[in-house]
Amino acid sequence: MIAPHRLLMLASVALVVSSLSASAQTATTSAANTTSASAAQDDDPDMDPNRAQPDFTLLSLPTNLRLPRHKAAFRVTHRFGRPLGQGDFGDLAADLFGLDSGAQIGLEFRYGLIRGGQIGFYRTSNRTINFFGQYEVLSQKRFPVAISAVAGVDGTNNFQDSYSPALSAVISREIGERAAIYLQPAWVNNANPQPKELVDDNDSVLLGVGARVNVHGRTYVVIETAPRVSGFDDGDHHVSFGIEQQAGGHVFQLNFSNGIGTTLAQIARGGNSDWYLGFNISRKFY
Amino acid sequence: MKVSAPTIICVLTLALTAAGCDEKLADVAGPTPNLQPTFASIQREIFNAADSSGRAACTQCHNAGNRNNAAGMSLTEGVAYSELVGVPSSRKPGAVRVIPGDPNGSYLIHKLEGRSDIVGQRMPRTGGPYLTEGQIRIIRRWIELGARND
Repeated sequence: MIAPHRLLMLASVALVVSSLSASAQTATTSAANTTSASAAQDDDPDMDPNRAQPDFTLLSLPTNLRLPRHKAAFRVTHRFGRPLGQGDFGDLAADLFGLDSGAQIGLEFRYGLIRGGQIGFYRTSNRTINFFGQYEVLSQKRFPVAISAVAGVDGTNNFQDSYSPALSAVISREIGERAAIYLQPAWVNNANPQPKELVDDNDSVLLGVGARVNVHGRTYVVIETAPRVSGFDDGDHHVSFGIEQQAGGHVFQLNFSNGIGTTLAQIARGGNSDWYLGFNISRKFY
Repeated sequence: MKVSAPTIICVLTLALTAAGCDEKLADVAGPTPNLQPTFASIQREIFNAADSSGRAACTQCHNAGNRNNAAGMSLTEGVAYSELVGVPSSRKPGAVRVIPGDPNGSYLIHKLEGRSDIVGQRMPRTGGPYLTEGQIRIIRRWIELGARND
């Protein structure tokens, strides 16, 4: 039986090799192509707006939106720490529905490294840093679904203490220009924050499921869940939903979640029986 | 092939992906950083030795020459395992010192945690320092894993 770490290593190497291969192919094509860089950029279909997938994430889980090569995107996430079920409605209103409380804030930057491939980092205010890479393996243009491979790693205490690598596949299906549905099987190593010598299950296998539906104009309803199907299974399964408005290169999203985790490892650690208010704002630089 | 800086970042990111590691057990073990959830390690780090917190060694009282004053139990090397695992408590009827797989039911844990149901004093009986929560967690884990003589 192949050890999980070895499997992870092989998958990572495969992802890197496919990225480098695609990069080399792109370079060869570019050399042969005499059109100017700007003309090529105009022809890049990744620059076109995608009505079914307007953003790179649902609420916390990734989508299959392609980031154009050498372009960037930025995202801010907020998850307010006040449980919405705490106290009566008067208490909740007095705290402005949680906005008066502290929040777990996340800042994300991603960059289109190659066609169909992007890398990025994301830091949450509990001093966790997540590095990630995503590469589209199959496009819906030639296949019933699009599939991306995603690799990432969380590191706590500013990437100095405990590391939780994760591998996943994002399988998506765009339904016209109105909606997209997602399936994301994922494996998270060290999902359990305790030392492996003290725990039965150190890893989690999740099955992310989500959808984004355009309900009116540029308004969308978004929902996702990520039940743990095996391994470490503490807390409630992650559930999150929200409403969002696209405006130019921005997407503004108001959301509700049963936890404040936003990275795959944080999600694997489970939510709780309370609900939390949050928002995401993303900006595309192209 | 020219390798661009972003590609190098990608490779580094994925290399880091393959390098995950846990919180260190030593951080949990506190004053006995080499403590592991094995019987040999517990014998060496807890039963035989005092630690940097000032906790007394168990064998200071629980030794073959002091059985009468130590619940008839010796924790000296070579005999400790047979005096603990599956052995009824000499002071509390119905209690078993260590029940493999059941740390909550094991009387050893009750005595180390100082639970209200114990007969006599919390251990070590020196009045503290007691075992840290992390040290007890590691002993609990040894019991959870079957309390093997490993």
